[in-house]
Amino acid sequence: METKPQFNEEELVAKAQQGDRNALSQLVVNYRSRIYHLGLRLTGTEQDAEDILQETFLIMVKKIHQFKGQSSFYTWLYRIAVNIGLRKLKSKPHKYQHVSIDDPDIEYISSTEIADWPDFDYSKFARKHLRKKLDQLIEKLPDIYRTVFILRDLHELSTEDTSKILQITPSNTKIRLMRARNYLKEELEKIIDKEGLI
Amino acid sequence: MKNDSELYKQICEYLGCDFDSGPCKEIQDHLAKCPSCEVYIDKVKKTVHLYKEIENCDEIPEKVCQKLFLSLNLNEPKTNESKTGADNHDFQRFRH
Ligand SMILES: [Zn+2]
Repeated sequence: METKPQFNEEELVAKAQQGDRNALSQLVVNYRSRIYHLGLRLTGTEQDAEDILQETFLIMVKKIHQFKGQSSFYTWLYRIAVNIGLRKLKSKPHKYQHVSIDDPDIEYISSTEIADWPDFDYSKFARKHLRKKLDQLIEKLPDIYRTVFILRDLHELSTEDTSKILQITPSNTKIRLMRARNYLKEELEKIIDKEGLI
Repeated sequence: MKNDSELYKQICEYLGCDFDSGPCKEIQDHLAKCPSCEVYIDKVKKTVHLYKEIENCDEIPEKVCQKLFLSLNLNEPKTNESKTGADNHDFQRFRH
């Protein structure tokens, strides 16, 4: 279920559609950080994130009159940004060889105890090393899994909204999220096995 | 559990859902008597938590913002709301 926007976004969007520059500016302010971080996670580079940010809002300004309100405004905007990001990814060679993705092997018993894992307090000031490892793991995910993980777990969008943005079914979103989470867990576990607490 | 493909399917499905809502009764019953599944799920949850902890979608470099508004030919609002990093209460609404 979508949550109702605060700040009366509908009004803001309506004003922006009538050409109100202040309303447009406010929409940019409301979403700029999220679109920037979406681009950063999708592409892994600041330059690409900045390009995606600019292109997304240029399209928003140009096409906001076409927004019909059938979905929420942010799903519309996210869809624009995701499409720009994916197009960008296709046009360049991948930084990492993408991995193959498996379903969970729940019966596999690993040697590490859950207690060996970094705890949440630790991660708050997460050492650079841990951060870097986590970043790299996301980048290794194939695009179809990475996009779902970013939207669902990092941007905390609902399954429904994520499905609308990516134009896939909700059950597809769930399967991709399960596999992405599982891959990240497996890889993190390998690192912890090898290096101990990072 | 290996033979119970229905339960395996349920656990997989749970691993693709919101963790806040907790697993269904059948999974809960299984976890109570199967430590390996329990640890497995806990590790997946912990992985997701670690990522949530390090991700900060509320900040954007000031220079990037300035360039953005320039390229859009819009004025950056000068209220408190517009301050970099001030969008985070707005971000809350995505949380379910
Ligand atoms: Zn089990």
